Amino acid sequence: MENMQSVQVDIAEEEIKVSSFRYGLNAVLAFFGFSTKTHRASKKRAKLVGDIVTYIVLLFGAFLMIYPFWWMIAASFAQTGGQEGNNALSGLDWWPTPSAFGYDDAVGGFFRNYVVLFDRGFSGGIFDPSFSYWRAVANNLFYSIVPVVVGVITSAMAAFSFAKINWIGRNAVFMFLLAAIMVPGPSIMTTQYAMYQSFGFLNNWAVMVVPGLFGAIMTAFFIRQFLFGLPTSIIEAAKIDGAGYGRIFVGFILPLAMPAIVAQGLLSFMGCWNNYMGSYIFITGSSVWVNLPHAMTIMNSGTTFASDQGPILAAAVMCVLPVIILFAIFQKMIIGSLMLTGSKE
Amino acid sequence: MEDNTTVAVEESAAVDSMAAEAALPQKKKRKPINQQKLQDNLWGWAFCVPLIVGTVLFIYIALVMALLLSFTTYNSLILGPGDSIWTFLGDMFAGKDVYSDSVGNTDPLRWYKYVFQWEEYSTGTTTSPYPMNVTGMLLFNTVFYAIGIPIGMVLAMFFAVCMSRDIKGGNVFRVVYYLPCVASTVSIVYTFTNMFGTDGVINRLLGANIPWFREEVSQPWLTLTDGGDPFWGHGLLQKSLIIIMSVWKGLGGTIILYIAGLSGVNASTKEAAQIDGANGWRIFWKITMPDLYPVIFYNIVTAVIGGMQIYAEPELFFPTASTTGSYPNFLTSGYVSLIWFWGVTSRARIDTNYYDPGIPGNAAYQSLGAAYGMVLAVIILVLTLFQFWLDRKNND
Repeated sequence: MENMQSVQVDIAEEEIKVSSFRYGLNAVLAFFGFSTKTHRASKKRAKLVGDIVTYIVLLFGAFLMIYPFWWMIAASFAQTGGQEGNNALSGLDWWPTPSAFGYDDAVGGFFRNYVVLFDRGFSGGIFDPSFSYWRAVANNLFYSIVPVVVGVITSAMAAFSFAKINWIGRNAVFMFLLAAIMVPGPSIMTTQYAMYQSFGFLNNWAVMVVPGLFGAIMTAFFIRQFLFGLPTSIIEAAKIDGAGYGRIFVGFILPLAMPAIVAQGLLSFMGCWNNYMGSYIFITGSSVWVNLPHAMTIMNSGTTFASDQGPILAAAVMCVLPVIILFAIFQKMIIGSLMLTGSKE
Repeated sequence: MEDNTTVAVEESAAVDSMAAEAALPQKKKRKPINQQKLQDNLWGWAFCVPLIVGTVLFIYIALVMALLLSFTTYNSLILGPGDSIWTFLGDMFAGKDVYSDSVGNTDPLRWYKYVFQWEEYSTGTTTSPYPMNVTGMLLFNTVFYAIGIPIGMVLAMFFAVCMSRDIKGGNVFRVVYYLPCVASTVSIVYTFTNMFGTDGVINRLLGANIPWFREEVSQPWLTLTDGGDPFWGHGLLQKSLIIIMSVWKGLGGTIILYIAGLSGVNASTKEAAQIDGANGWRIFWKITMPDLYPVIFYNIVTAVIGGMQIYAEPELFFPTASTTGSYPNFLTSGYVSLIWFWGVTSRARIDTNYYDPGIPGNAAYQSLGAAYGMVLAVIILVLTLFQFWLDRKNND
């Protein structure tokens, strides 16, 4: 009874003194960098503990981000072609174990799934007879290089005009163009379909290339933001020296805005490389012009690889790999460009 | 083809005349510099022409056409040889009848009525027909996927705050977390499909036996039993799988935007608060969050706009049967699937008692797809305006 009372007194006079348990707890907390009323933690200790916790959290998150990629690569080497079929994937945690059954078609050994993918992954079913894996890759390169290079330059031209040339109606036109991003793409999908049909774009390369040649509003918007940071005096000086706007654009703007242009180009390249929907909507599966992601879905929808998912995962790896490599090389530029977007908003 | 070129010619002609008009008044007023002004105006327009042409043709004209088409019976079988969408629209403006069909329905709003009607759909397994609203069910799925938005925002904020600490290797984490954003959706979906299998790696790690994919998913309406709740009673695991994937895939982009926002937070205010004795938690809520508000708002608006257009992920995880079936997957498909389902792929006669457009054989109903698209555009516009309205209240 007396004990209880003393505890209550302690609680009442918490500001002056606390219970011994609380005191000990505060000491432990101070050791881990948390200041309390009785103990002050050193700033250094607080930072150290905070850093350790941050690292643990971030490493855990990074593991979650990386693991599906790791699993995808590991699974692309699993022996799914044999009698075990997809069971080889079901037992896979870190790295595939060699199957006791072995492959039915022992081609390529360890790289069997890749060999099967390259040899007959994209043939049969509703694929065009002359279609092949390398045709899909060539299509994808064509679809993601030509429109991106031309489109980024046309966007940069527009951005230059919006940022550095004074012309009447400039802001009105810019707002008019910017309002177009409010139009949801799927809403006008069917009319675009009818429109492309009338142009003869459907089911060939044109539908994936021609609309991109005109440039994109968002790309122009970001390059314009970048160009605002460039001094106008360079352009004035060039004008006094007698350079026309064409000359200024090629000679000054393109080289000076190269970081923004390359970053935007890389982002559009990745978007075009992964553009499954465009190909799926506008190109029929039996055409030779389907792109890589679309061809992968056709491959998956067939019966050949239903119980042999290894080659499909090999295709997934081959589709992701170029983009990841590109991103790894240019990550500084791309992330920097994205950060610029965030800080501008 | 010809119509296309005429449109392009008209475009450039309009642009030229506008540029000339714009330059003219300047000529009269200031003589010494009019050459320079003329140059500015001509070149200014010239540099923009490709972007203007592309935007006007592929977005604005397409939008107007979609609105017009949604009142007609335009479909893939309606055009004669040599005709195109342009001749059809020409007929429409010439006052010809593009609204009526072979069974005598002349209602221009037929598709909009079709979009919002309830149907008595016989599931085949039940004795009585099952009343349902297809648009409502797919909209429910789309809105359900929006659960991923707040989850992603909170997670991204958490990781962004961790990364913006003064630690070594912060940049490496940024790159690692952004990797899923650059990867192809198709590749990721096929990887997740195998990882989330009934005896896949995720279930094994969780020590559970969660049926992320069910056999019935390919024909989901067969599982709808009489009196069963089609919204909350079925397919929640499947929808959760899609949410998990979208959150995982979209996290990196949001994190980068937050890091950029966090680096712009006023450091001196923070320091002053620290000296005044505010702890980290209070500093975060009272100083960091208000400064971050524009970034968060931007993220929410873009996430909602993007989320309403979800299409590829559900369709890749649980593909709609391509030839059989009268609807997209009720339990998983997003709203956009309806646009694709009716507007692009060839479908047999619409399976309803309400409206028979009288088209023999398989046809793609671009007009119906356009009507679904217009409804989507209005929904997105209203949602965006609503968010801006909330934002204005917040700013006051």
